[in-house]
Amino acid sequence: MSFSTLAGPLVPEILVLAAALLVFLLDVAGIRRREIVGGVAAGGLGVALLVVVADLGFGPLAFARGLPAGMLDVLPAAGSSPLYAFSSLGLVFQGLFLLAALLVATASLSRPSEERGAPIFYGLLLLATLGMLLVAVASDLIFLLLAIEVTSISTYVLVGYTRRDARALEAAMKFYIVGALSSTLSFFGASLLFGAYGTTNLYALIDEFRLGGGGGYPVLALLGYGILLAGLAFKTTLVPFHAWAVDVYDGAPDDVSAFLAGGTKKVGVFAFFLVFLGPVLFVRSGGGNPFSGAPFDLGPTLQLTLALLAVLTMTAGNVLALLQNEMKRMLAYSSISQAGYILLGIAIGTAPALAGATLQVAAHVLMKSGAFLVVGAAAGLGIGPRIADWKGLGGRRPFLAVAFALMLLSLAGVPLTIGFVSKFVLFSAAVQARGFFVWLAVAGLLNSALSVFYYARVLKVVFFEAPDPVPARSGDVVGAAGPAALAVGGLGYGRAVAIAAVAALIVAIGVYPQPILGPIQSAATHFLATGA
Amino acid sequence: MLPLISIVLATLLVGTVATFLAGARARWVALGTAGVFLAEVGLLFLAYPGWPGYNAQLVPGFAESESHAWIHLPWMQVNYTVGVDGISLVLILLTAILQIATVVYSWNESKNPAAYFGLVSLTCLGSFGVFVALDVLLFFLFWEAVLVPMFFLIGVWGGPRRRYAALKFFVYTHVASIVMLVGLLAVVFYSGATSFDFAAIDLAARGLSPVVQSFLFLALFFGFAVKFPIVPFHTWLPDAHVEAPTGGSVLLAGLLLKLGGYGLIRWAVEILPAGFAHDRALLFAAAFVSIVWGSVVSLAQRDLKRMVAFSSINHMGIVLLAIALDSSLGLLAAVLLMFAHGIVSALLFMSAGTVHHTFGTRDIPAIGGITPTTPALSTMLLAGSLASLGLPALIGFPAEFTALLATWNGLGYWVFLPLGILVVTAAFYIWTMQRMLFGPPRGIPVGTHDVAWFEGVGMGLLVALTVLFGILPGLLVNVITSSPVHGFPGP
Repeated sequence: MSFSTLAGPLVPEILVLAAALLVFLLDVAGIRRREIVGGVAAGGLGVALLVVVADLGFGPLAFARGLPAGMLDVLPAAGSSPLYAFSSLGLVFQGLFLLAALLVATASLSRPSEERGAPIFYGLLLLATLGMLLVAVASDLIFLLLAIEVTSISTYVLVGYTRRDARALEAAMKFYIVGALSSTLSFFGASLLFGAYGTTNLYALIDEFRLGGGGGYPVLALLGYGILLAGLAFKTTLVPFHAWAVDVYDGAPDDVSAFLAGGTKKVGVFAFFLVFLGPVLFVRSGGGNPFSGAPFDLGPTLQLTLALLAVLTMTAGNVLALLQNEMKRMLAYSSISQAGYILLGIAIGTAPALAGATLQVAAHVLMKSGAFLVVGAAAGLGIGPRIADWKGLGGRRPFLAVAFALMLLSLAGVPLTIGFVSKFVLFSAAVQARGFFVWLAVAGLLNSALSVFYYARVLKVVFFEAPDPVPARSGDVVGAAGPAALAVGGLGYGRAVAIAAVAALIVAIGVYPQPILGPIQSAATHFLATGA
Repeated sequence: MLPLISIVLATLLVGTVATFLAGARARWVALGTAGVFLAEVGLLFLAYPGWPGYNAQLVPGFAESESHAWIHLPWMQVNYTVGVDGISLVLILLTAILQIATVVYSWNESKNPAAYFGLVSLTCLGSFGVFVALDVLLFFLFWEAVLVPMFFLIGVWGGPRRRYAALKFFVYTHVASIVMLVGLLAVVFYSGATSFDFAAIDLAARGLSPVVQSFLFLALFFGFAVKFPIVPFHTWLPDAHVEAPTGGSVLLAGLLLKLGGYGLIRWAVEILPAGFAHDRALLFAAAFVSIVWGSVVSLAQRDLKRMVAFSSINHMGIVLLAIALDSSLGLLAAVLLMFAHGIVSALLFMSAGTVHHTFGTRDIPAIGGITPTTPALSTMLLAGSLASLGLPALIGFPAEFTALLATWNGLGYWVFLPLGILVVTAAFYIWTMQRMLFGPPRGIPVGTHDVAWFEGVGMGLLVALTVLFGILPGLLVNVITSSPVHGFPGP
């Protein structure tokens, strides 16, 4: 077998794994400088990202292509049940995962160099990313859940890696307990599905729905899907499975929060794509409607559940975000509400909606990683955790303030940002799907109108309020450094580059989304055509 | 082919950004922007429709239309498509006039002038965009782009209850925008059009059944009715007007209300003719309620600004009535009325603003006999009032006469309802002017000056236009009726 068929398709995964092992080896060898291990990590992630983009068929990078074009978006041979398969949509998600990890890795290069634990941080970051990459190629339920575990276990440790900060340790403990519970639920749900269908292969499950409409054990199947839904909902921070997320994002070191909110959460989203598309697809192909009333009409029941969860998640997230006084908690709740928009796309289940949801994921990766990276930068500058501590940032740190403003405007869905385009496509898709989905669009639009208020409040504080004469508290900020310690106005090169890149991408894609949206749309269409 | 509309948009965009950044010189930059804008609008008029780049194929009926791909997916094609016809051209002229008048009138604004003039320019940029956009997304972007600067103009430069008024304005109009957007998206996707272009939707939506059209029309009508505003969705307007700074009130009454009327004509009546025919009874009812309610409540006001605000509801009710008549004369009347109301309400709000800071109050009974002290102000106020009540040779007359004639043609004796209201309102206006301007002096502080020069220039410009278009309404009529819609003769 040639390289291209054996290892070629897995080049990104191999690169990330190699980088992780190299980081740990360097640690053993006593080389722990942040610049070196961070450079290895960022380099590995960057090259992997290039390979993924090349695999997607981006012409100028054709030389870096590892995946043969014939392996992309094809149905497996009848009777075979592969553990993994390659879809363009999976590659798009791989690219987004790698982008999130790369942003965090780059920004973290600017952490104070006397801070310990760089190899652990980067090693775990890479391992978590590896798990995420595997999720994006999974085509078997057990493989999928194991890949999620790889990510989860790495991130449990990542939250508490500083080992000295009590809040971070508390957050890590909570994260671990909730995560263990959600994994248990997921595996239990999967086992019930195995009982109902006799397979854990996702292609086979989708075929069950395409052909048979839910199998012969509807109660067992409904129970299995329900429990699996709960397990995955924890990972994706859907209301009412969201309570842990705020404490964890709040307590974790800022850069880890950026990775959790911007990156690992999307693992759950892709799992939703893989697991629930079969039932939803079944509905779309005319198998029934959500209000038919039959209690064990599996597809419609699940679709309605997903739609209700989506509306509940975005509404609760927005309302709770309105009530927050601390920046990280506000961002955490806003992240929960954004998960609701994404779920909306899955509940609709058409190719346009899937494209909208994927673009929303891309927007969320940029906006949320970026916003938490800015929070990290602000903490480094001695700005406290309360929103009120950000008074007058616009005058003192114009670059940081403008970049942050762009991220918040994009989160609020203001035109000419990526956040607007993604919501526009998503809500258009909801109307395009007709029927009761139009009301989902109305719910989503009203929610985005509501969300404007809490983002606007932050902008008002940042730009229009004079700073307090007393310096902000910096005692309870993790790793606060002296303001003059780093280049680029105290940010450091790595963080400045990451934040500037996010801000530039938010506007560039917002003004002209075609280069991103076109490929995403065709990937989504292929995904629905081939199943997984 | 010279992309004239894009050039105007670029001018306004660059001018607006430059105004925000100009600091103390912002008013000069704003004036320059407004001046260039006005000149370019003049070019648009000259070019209409005989411009060398006139391309009737692109979007039939729209002169100088331009189209570029923006977002192209299999199920959704969004384009940057812009174009003008006679209706939008007249409202664009109004935009340019009001921008220059507002900038001049607000010349001495001292509270953060760069932001103030920047927001004024942005409001006009958004309005211009609404009038030229021929794509759903583009239209919606500009529609929303008007909302934000007006929110800040009221909320930052407004009166004592400005925060409440700004928020109310924002919530009302934003919720309406959302309903409008969903309505437009529904028109696109239910009609099976995949392109968001006006021409494509216009064509595809004709295939929809009258019942579907009627529902969609209701959604769109709600979206536009809040902006109009039509009773009972009007309650944001008096608050917003009373609290807004004078410049904000001028743009609010002069431009923003016109967006509702224009939107209804262009994006609802034109696209969903069967739905419009189906829902006409509702439109008549809403129009009559607005006409009566606006005028009765306006009679009860003591605050000059509030009185003008409620009379706007009355006037916009007549606009809705004229649109609902579904005749070419009615449409002509609606556009003329919008133009006239834009100029006249701007003049009246400027006068009210000057009264307020000259005499320290806008309470009508508290002041009287101001003519000997402030003759120029009295002249402006009187000119505005007379134009508003429809005195011949002023701009209100041709507009209201056309509207009444169209109503007579369409509804017969129903015409006596708006006519009677007009007579009562006219009498009330004259009585108010008599108390305020003439008679024994009351409530005039010592050392009162007449209008400042810049206020005089701003208002004088509007008075001159009131007279010009009052005597020569044909200038506008010819442009409006050159639009190849609704039985107009076309170019």
